Amino acid sequence: MTKEVIIKSNKYGMELILDDKLPFPELLDIIRDRFQESGNFFKNAKMAVSFKGRSLTGEEELSIVDAIMENSPIQIVSIMDLAGVQEERMKERLDAFQESQGGSVAQKSSARGTGSASRQSGAGQKTQGQSGSGRKAEAVPGQQANFQNGFYKGNLRSGQVLECPESVTLIGDVNPGARIESAGNVVILGALKGTACAGSGGDNSCFIFALDMQPIQLQIGEYIAKSPDREKESRHLFKREKAAPAAYNPQIAVARRGTIYIEPMTKGCLDNL
Amino acid sequence: MGEVIVITSGKGGVGKTTTTANVGMGLAMLGKKVVMIDTDIGLRNLDVVLGLENRIVYNLVDVVEGKCRLKQALIKHKKFPDLCLLPSAQTRDKDAVNPEQMVALVEELREEYDYVLLDCPAGIEQGFKNAVAGADRALVVTTPEVSAIRDADRIVGLLEAGEMKKIDLVINRLRMDMVKRGDMLKVEDVCDILSIHLIGVVPDDEQIVVATNNGEPLVGGSSLAGQAYYNICKRILGEEVPFMDLEGKKGLMAKFLDLFKK
Repeated sequence: MTKEVIIKSNKYGMELILDDKLPFPELLDIIRDRFQESGNFFKNAKMAVSFKGRSLTGEEELSIVDAIMENSPIQIVSIMDLAGVQEERMKERLDAFQESQGGSVAQKSSARGTGSASRQSGAGQKTQGQSGSGRKAEAVPGQQANFQNGFYKGNLRSGQVLECPESVTLIGDVNPGARIESAGNVVILGALKGTACAGSGGDNSCFIFALDMQPIQLQIGEYIAKSPDREKESRHLFKREKAAPAAYNPQIAVARRGTIYIEPMTKGCLDNL
Repeated sequence: MGEVIVITSGKGGVGKTTTTANVGMGLAMLGKKVVMIDTDIGLRNLDVVLGLENRIVYNLVDVVEGKCRLKQALIKHKKFPDLCLLPSAQTRDKDAVNPEQMVALVEELREEYDYVLLDCPAGIEQGFKNAVAGADRALVVTTPEVSAIRDADRIVGLLEAGEMKKIDLVINRLRMDMVKRGDMLKVEDVCDILSIHLIGVVPDDEQIVVATNNGEPLVGGSSLAGQAYYNICKRILGEEVPFMDLEGKKGLMAKFLDLFKK
């Protein structure tokens, strides 16, 4: 068998491991042949597909999906971006697809029309799990359910990144090592103990708001600020035991005159925004 | 041309990161130019132990992927300007870097620094392979526990198979009271099993926990563990330092007498 294309499949989807040296058209021919040979084995299956071993442009991915659908009875319902996709992820995708069966016909027809399988990413949001490849948007299905219209529900744990193209409100905490990034404003209804970045496109007028502001790092537009070094203890157990804050102390961070300021959230603040 | 030392153990939680932080700082105290690289991608810790967490903007993966220059990612230590940290990425995994890239990175760093310390992740998979790839010398950290020694033995085997030029042993978290009672393996026993050169013995010290939480390694301080790490640093530089007496709780009188004996 050729080594240029290796097909691995599980119950819910398949993974194509592609050679990264071969010119793309040749690769596509091989994929066509392979699926003509073995495609009947899959019998009209609905599957998610992922690619590994070669970075593909969106167009290339789509032409591969087309090649598979033309040469075999397999229906590709979703492209997974992550290298090393797990079976569960694929299953979740497939379940989501089946749940939205009402829309599936339209989705399929559009998939035919534009030659595209649906890339499901909720409202342009991008959430990377710890295994995030970082190359492309990876929508983690479990977390996708938590994201709606610029609102995200749940805690961000160490290593998790929430990136949004517009302002975002997070209901929950941002733990140390986690990162929330938005091209607009960031509002955290909870504790900010990790890194927050507002105006990632370079907009200095954005703000970051948190009910409990203890960030490791703040970035607003082109400015970046780190937490003071001597306050170390306060991040650790000591202070919390000794002087537990009576209530949340909501604060807002803004960039002004080349510095990032953190100030208590008062009425006056609103006028300055 | 600097020396590249990987700090590894196989088992987790035996004190690789603590050792890296203390040895790095100790060498800097002794006037060397040192850079520490955290290769534990996805579970970075070294920056926290050193209290440099809030300064991270770029990391190892950014450097390897060419998103920033190496200089931009290096974080200078607060007290020692000759001590630098190259932090790892928290949002990625070990596959983000491969051994060839690590070798290239290390070769670049050794041009400028006297010592390059690599903090290796636990395990023997990709992360370990990345960390070991560019190293000339290894410090194998173990605790006097059978499980840790078993893993250390495996690591030594892998390092020898990989033709590591020099392998030294650090025994961490030794408790003299337990050794005396016969409840813990003796230093000699551990050395017998692993049969590699012993470079230091660090006693179990609760100050380590405090120091780690505060982000200030205790090397060079008055604590036994701090002194032990300082001695390890001197031995790395090739000095002959006698192993210190770990009994610890000596009476004031005995300490006085010791002073006069010298």
